[in-house]
Amino acid sequence: MPDMEISEVLVQPYMLRAIAGIILIAINASVAGSFTIFRNVSFLVAGASHSALAGAALFILLGVYGFPANPLIGALLFAIATAFVAGYASKEETNTAIGISFAMSMSLAILFISMIREYAAKVWSLLIGDLFLLTYEDLYLITFVTFLSLMIALLFYKAFLFISFDSEGATAFGLNTRRYNYLLLSLIAISAVMLLKGVGAILVFAMLVAPAAASNELASNLRDVFIYAFIIALVSGFVGIAISFFFEVSPGAIASLLATTIYFFSLLARRFRGD
Amino acid sequence: MVKGKNEKEDIEIDAITSKGVEFGYGEQPVLFDITFTIKKEEFVAITGPNGSGKTTLLKLILGILQPRKGEIRVMGYSTKERDKIMNLIGFMPQKEHISSNFPILVRDVVMLGLGARKGIMKPTGKADEEEGIQAIKSVGLDEEIWMEKFAELSGGQQQRVLLARALAIKPEILLLDEPFNGVDIPSQNKILDLISDLRKKGVTVLLVVHNVNPLLHHIDKIMLLKNRIVAFGKPDEVLTDKNLISAYGASIPIIYCEEGYAHPVYSDIHG
Repeated sequence: MPDMEISEVLVQPYMLRAIAGIILIAINASVAGSFTIFRNVSFLVAGASHSALAGAALFILLGVYGFPANPLIGALLFAIATAFVAGYASKEETNTAIGISFAMSMSLAILFISMIREYAAKVWSLLIGDLFLLTYEDLYLITFVTFLSLMIALLFYKAFLFISFDSEGATAFGLNTRRYNYLLLSLIAISAVMLLKGVGAILVFAMLVAPAAASNELASNLRDVFIYAFIIALVSGFVGIAISFFFEVSPGAIASLLATTIYFFSLLARRFRGD
Repeated sequence: MVKGKNEKEDIEIDAITSKGVEFGYGEQPVLFDITFTIKKEEFVAITGPNGSGKTTLLKLILGILQPRKGEIRVMGYSTKERDKIMNLIGFMPQKEHISSNFPILVRDVVMLGLGARKGIMKPTGKADEEEGIQAIKSVGLDEEIWMEKFAELSGGQQQRVLLARALAIKPEILLLDEPFNGVDIPSQNKILDLISDLRKKGVTVLLVVHNVNPLLHHIDKIMLLKNRIVAFGKPDEVLTDKNLISAYGASIPIIYCEEGYAHPVYSDIHG
């Protein structure tokens, strides 16, 4: 690769797809990531992305048995199921409920993989992910879903904010808190699935939660949380691609490493600022 | 506060009436045999031990929960007609139940209340913002606080911002859940002064508190709960040894202050 000019590399289809992938990831990290922090459900991102693996494995298994279906659809269904389990559980039990459905999904994922050993690599690729292996079909789906969640977040922005801040008050002021809660948790779970192919289930948490967590420390108002989260995710992603071009390492790993490092520095910055 | 909002205004309507209300999450009722009337412009404290059903009663009045027996009416409307009663009641939740680990501004908090009342998906404009700022001033806070982070305010200021959010919608009835938890004495007094002003403007005020002492000199009536109404009436009639024993299951010493009010000394009876 390094014998090509930079300008040549930048227009390679796989590179363009990776760049588009990063931009879409940054939008999800801004919208769903920020609401994950506001609603205080970061564990849902870990739970949903791993549950998604079981869904993908199941759909790959179905394909082997003659029912072809896109594994990402299976991933979406399982992630949304986790969101509903989290929404159904009471506030104190949310994390336990997510953890148990996380564990159950991983058991199912491993069970399904053991039944289709020859296709196991397909499932494992979702565990690790690769920005350079995104297909046009993946990108179309991710673009469509990201656009849809952006619209939902804009439309229900105030309701999502109200239930995150004060769900009791939101109910008293006449909001259907339960319904908005399910919708918001599903939105977060769906975003987690959108990052699956690009960065893999293991690193979804880092790319979806860390940028918003960092910007939440730095921002002085809500709008800035969304803007900074977008910038942090975008810069992390581009640096990941750039470094992986010169050294043969995973771009997702570099991006996640950078995003999580920025979080720790933002914590320090806030301490030093003294608030 | 707002006259003519309710077409039933002409006939003298009570603020809140409850008839034979029973409610429970399981078989065991949390509240039973709840019958009372709160008149307009009254200032009432609901008190009782932990688990006595205080907050449940608030939720029934708000229409968040529905009684399994009996009926509650708010300004003449059944609590089943939530859209109607929502516009009449301002609610201030317990500060402890709020999560503000993100840079939500005072403006955002107050505007959420106004926005919810307007229809949560409709945009709020300059006029709404003006109302919000007025509400902030009306609770004795500085206008500058409008653009500050809610999380960085003191407990007393946060409580007053939540009160402003409830007042911004110009309610006829104000419900406050434990308004004095984590609030310093000067802020408590400011909130009490404000409530006195509101009553002069015709607002009915209902508070849930585990400790009635800060309120005793201000309230008209106390409702002592222990899953049923142990006593409801003027503070001195309610705070008797007999009533306190039947509510708390133990004798609570009563001290009479210089002005002659009976103050129960709860010590560690409360959780």
